[in-house]
Amino acid sequence: MDESPTPLNDTAQLQWAAQERAHETMLTMVWKRFRRHPGAIAGLIILGIIILGVILAPLSPYDPEASDIRNRFQPPSLQHPFGTDALGRDLLTRCLYGGRVSLTVGFLVVLITLAVGIPVGAVAGFSGGWIDNVLMRITDAALSMPSLMVLILLSAILREVEIPFFERNNVLTIALVIGALSWMTVARLVRASFLAIKEMEFITAARCLGTPRLRLMGRHILPNAVGPIIVEATLEMGWAIMEEAGLSFLGFGIQPPTPSWGNLLESAWEHMVKYPWLAIFPGLMIFLTIIAINYIGDGLRDAFDPHKVLQRVGEV
Amino acid sequence: MPREKVIKALALGTLFVLLASSLVGCGATPEPTQPPEPTDVAAEPTKAPEPTQAPEPTEAPEPTEAPEPTEAPPPTEPPPPEPEESSIVIAIPEDPAGFNPYVSDTGYEQLLMELTMLGLTDLDAEGNLFLELAAELPTVDNGGVVVDEENWTMDVTWQLRDDVYWADGEQVTADDVIFTWDAISDPEGGIWAEGIDYTEGLEKVSDLSFTVHYSYTYPNYALHFGGENFVVWPEHYCDATQGFVAWDCNREPLSNGPYLLKDWQTGDYISFVRNPTYFEEGKPYIDNILVRIVPERAVIKTMLIEGDADAYMWLTPTEIDDLKEEDQIGVTFSPTTRWVMRLIPNLAARGSIDPDADPHPILSDVRVRRAIRMAIDVDLLTQEIFRGYNQPVWTELFRPPYVCDIPRPEYNPDGASDLLAEAGWTDEDGDGIRECHGCETAEEGYVMAMENMIYAEYGEELELAQQLVAEMLKEIGIDLQLSIVEGPVLWADYESGGIEQNGDFDLNMWDDGYPGLDPTDHLWAYYYSSAAEPDYGWNVGRWYNEDFDALLDEAYVLDEEYRQELFCQMADILEEELPQILLWSEVDADGYNMRLEGVQATVNDIMTWNVADWKINE
Amino acid sequence: MGRYIARRLLQAIPMLFLLSLALFVLVNIAPGGPLAGHGRSRRPDPEKAEILKRQFGLDQPLPVQYVVWLIGNDWMKVDADGDGIKESNGTRRGILRGDFGFSFKTRQPVLDEILDRLGNTVYLMTATLIVVAIIAIPVGIISAIKQYSFFDIGVTTLSFMGQAIPEFWLGMILILVFYVWLKNPATGEPLLPPGGMKSLDTGFNLWDRIQHLILPVTMGAVGWVAWYSRFLRSGMLDVIHQDYIRTARAKGLSERVVMLRHALKNAFIPLVTILALDIPYIFAGSLYVELIFSWPGMGRLYYQAATGRDYPVLMAILIFASMFTVFANLLADVAYGYLDPRIRFE
Repeated sequence: MDESPTPLNDTAQLQWAAQERAHETMLTMVWKRFRRHPGAIAGLIILGIIILGVILAPLSPYDPEASDIRNRFQPPSLQHPFGTDALGRDLLTRCLYGGRVSLTVGFLVVLITLAVGIPVGAVAGFSGGWIDNVLMRITDAALSMPSLMVLILLSAILREVEIPFFERNNVLTIALVIGALSWMTVARLVRASFLAIKEMEFITAARCLGTPRLRLMGRHILPNAVGPIIVEATLEMGWAIMEEAGLSFLGFGIQPPTPSWGNLLESAWEHMVKYPWLAIFPGLMIFLTIIAINYIGDGLRDAFDPHKVLQRVGEV
Repeated sequence: MPREKVIKALALGTLFVLLASSLVGCGATPEPTQPPEPTDVAAEPTKAPEPTQAPEPTEAPEPTEAPEPTEAPPPTEPPPPEPEESSIVIAIPEDPAGFNPYVSDTGYEQLLMELTMLGLTDLDAEGNLFLELAAELPTVDNGGVVVDEENWTMDVTWQLRDDVYWADGEQVTADDVIFTWDAISDPEGGIWAEGIDYTEGLEKVSDLSFTVHYSYTYPNYALHFGGENFVVWPEHYCDATQGFVAWDCNREPLSNGPYLLKDWQTGDYISFVRNPTYFEEGKPYIDNILVRIVPERAVIKTMLIEGDADAYMWLTPTEIDDLKEEDQIGVTFSPTTRWVMRLIPNLAARGSIDPDADPHPILSDVRVRRAIRMAIDVDLLTQEIFRGYNQPVWTELFRPPYVCDIPRPEYNPDGASDLLAEAGWTDEDGDGIRECHGCETAEEGYVMAMENMIYAEYGEELELAQQLVAEMLKEIGIDLQLSIVEGPVLWADYESGGIEQNGDFDLNMWDDGYPGLDPTDHLWAYYYSSAAEPDYGWNVGRWYNEDFDALLDEAYVLDEEYRQELFCQMADILEEELPQILLWSEVDADGYNMRLEGVQATVNDIMTWNVADWKINE
Repeated sequence: MGRYIARRLLQAIPMLFLLSLALFVLVNIAPGGPLAGHGRSRRPDPEKAEILKRQFGLDQPLPVQYVVWLIGNDWMKVDADGDGIKESNGTRRGILRGDFGFSFKTRQPVLDEILDRLGNTVYLMTATLIVVAIIAIPVGIISAIKQYSFFDIGVTTLSFMGQAIPEFWLGMILILVFYVWLKNPATGEPLLPPGGMKSLDTGFNLWDRIQHLILPVTMGAVGWVAWYSRFLRSGMLDVIHQDYIRTARAKGLSERVVMLRHALKNAFIPLVTILALDIPYIFAGSLYVELIFSWPGMGRLYYQAATGRDYPVLMAILIFASMFTVFANLLADVAYGYLDPRIRFE
């Protein structure tokens, strides 16, 4: 195709150019680049371990919710690597089960973010005009809300209102609450990408050929915009886990006896001086998970960044 | 280049705005106008206790008062026995709304109120009545109380002390009491108070005496104008047009009590200084009291241990144990108890308020309730979770002076299983949870699963107890789902969706009890039939029993022996029908630094009820 | 430019109205009410409920409540004494006239409560912001200039860690370490105070103030520094690889001049906009810091109002915060447009 030596500044065109040059699919190319990022690989490993641990939680000999009164507040030992809590329950088991809840919330929020943000951004970017205006005003309004405060409010409402299918303080409810304020950045990204790519020649060409709009959006535009979206979604997951922990810590998130990392911290606060392990381990889990996710996100960002590629290739 | 300048200007401008507004934060604390620093010794003489003479205005201007008062010896040098001003710090986790507990009843308003104002009477820690503003207690014997046997009305005449003055010099008179009552009962700006339904009016007899006309024999008359919520507000100072609940007095009161308000920084601290014109000679002993607001209880506990706080109310059992280990911290326990933790079953089906038309499928059978009680090992809960500080309780009438002899129910999970089987609940499908097979209150196959709610504000111990209770009930085949709900949602009124008033629950667990000695109002609110109407009372279980109603109606008399009989008959009915399952009584303990003497926890009031008696011994 | 600003302002107003309506609806459909105290009696006196409802204006239908909230009710007759007859004038003037109502809990004007706390929050947040700026800016710049050096890698790793630490957990650990474990070797007293803005028996003492600021500022600044320094680093990196930088170097300008004069200014632009977007945070405050360190600020006020269902306070704070955000966004857009001529000529 075009062998122009002039440096290209448009993301999508760069992407496409690099692809052409390497004769690879996008996925392989991204993966190759990702592999070179040590932090990201480490993050992937750590997150993998955590996810594995969380999935295998039922293998634990201890019941996360059954009490063992004689064994309260035991410090970490061989039988209880993380110690025991106020009811004598094994903290490691509770942390792993708590991880299930926290990670599930994280995944769900990412799903919601993509499910809401992409369509909103796509429609806005593609249609332009008053549709774009209205959608952007709504997005701006949602962004204008002070997030933690509104999360508290939403949580207070949704937790008590009787919605069919939602029990009180279900994981789904909290995910919904956090998701309600997480989709805006992705929407904006998608819209920006759409705005930029919309004008490009190959799109005009496809349109001339009579490609229906949806296909245009889905098949032609979206794949080229996907890079930043994936990065953003990954980082959103870290944010969601952090928010859930914070909300539960304040008492507006997942409620006991269901463990989540946040509410494990909340009950540990009071005993911190005497039994610090109760606070240290859940906090550590949150820390490791989020740092892993952030590194992965960073790696993805580099992997999708054509500048970096073409730097290495010597083009730019 | 203009762009650089723009950037610089923007940056500087923003920085300036931010710095300026932060100085607002810095400078928000006005320098104290009152007591000089401890180093300012020359002003000491004027702070020497001079109560009855020339009552000082609230903002006594020290420096200009250097010339000696009429009897203090001429201070040639700083009087040696006058030590530095003593001060203590009380730490609380919430901002009080003001000095008026009728506006908001968290207990911290009472804390402030007890520091600064007086009522006619009050209760000590043992539950005995003592006088504050009243000169003597009116009784039938001394003619202070006149009961009209025919019409069931009652007149009580109070006599006030003549030596109590407001901090600005005005005397405390009957006009103040009448003014206060009028403000409370004002339909526009007032609020509901106990006794308001029985009171027809107050009539002034003399400057220091007034008569209360009751339309009904009110057994609790002695605490009507005192106790934990009521104090007398000054007529000449508070602005009645603002309304009792909103007047400025609630934030800037005029004292007639042991302390004067010095400074209030919202959210941060409230400081008090000794009232030199307090009517009790020589008291209070401590010069300054600082009430600090620290939202995290864990931090308060640490501050107490480190000595940054001297007193802390309402300890949890964990905190009691932790603090007992510290040599410099003392813990005081209330000799009487008040709050009793109970399980409240809803006898009407969930969402209904009519127990007859829609009885609860599980809980409307008294055998089920009895079985639940038998399956709960209260001793385990009180010993392990509450570290032995809470005591098992099984009847409402366990406090003096009305102690009824109800035998303690046994802990017998096997017996409970048998009872449930007898009631028609068995586990046919082997999943560990019973279903209805021949039960009287539900359809065949109805699963024995319910939801248990507790309120969030209690804290960790109740959550743990709830989980243990669920385990105990699981042993006998009842599946209990657990929820934690916030107080404002649980106890809201009917229209606001309040869970209890709407009957939207199965089995709830919370604590309550009555102060003082008289259980009548408490029994009415929880067990009387009309109290089951939404927003009318707290009989949210919708239980009723005509005999019980009749007995309670008769209890509005002054004959103590008769009342004892009535109450014990009522206790028998409650034991038979188990409208509530009582579990244990809550400990009431306060923590304090050992250098402080005189602190006494009480359920009838708040820790500062006897603050005038507190001393520091270093 | 002026027309652009005016147009955006005009657009902001209906958005604020819609926002206020949305928030009003949200706040009021939350079940539970201020009428339920969590007082010592554990449950409120039901007889109080009717009086309270009247006094709070909650006996009116929701749309009426919204209108009253907006423009007050002193122009209409209300039933103030519960006898069913509307004979007295209302007393509220509505937020459009500056009356934010009174708190359900304390009966004090909401505006007073907010203003009492606002200064404290701004004080804390400004101190935090200054610390953040002092640390993050140089670190970010140097990190970018010396890309892939030890410094850069160290800083990047620390940034990742800083962003991964839960803020409230950090606060707990700080109190544990600096108040409980470590003691001042000279006096045996705890090293740093556990909260509050200042010690109360002294006047204005700078050292005392600083001591009280150290821990809360640290707690708030860690995440912020991590975020800003990475942001600045990537902004600088983007700029450094641009053509005009290469041109400047080719022109023979010293590296220093190139970096400071040309690169820095342009890297600052996105930072300025991020900063503008964080301005509302300065006023709304960090809830966690204020709770853990007993700081009497806006965040804590909101939290208490939320748990106590104190609607007027909630609404007022939400509206304030949203207003700040809207105007901060506007400021960011305008600043961005002004500083970056490429946008202007779009």
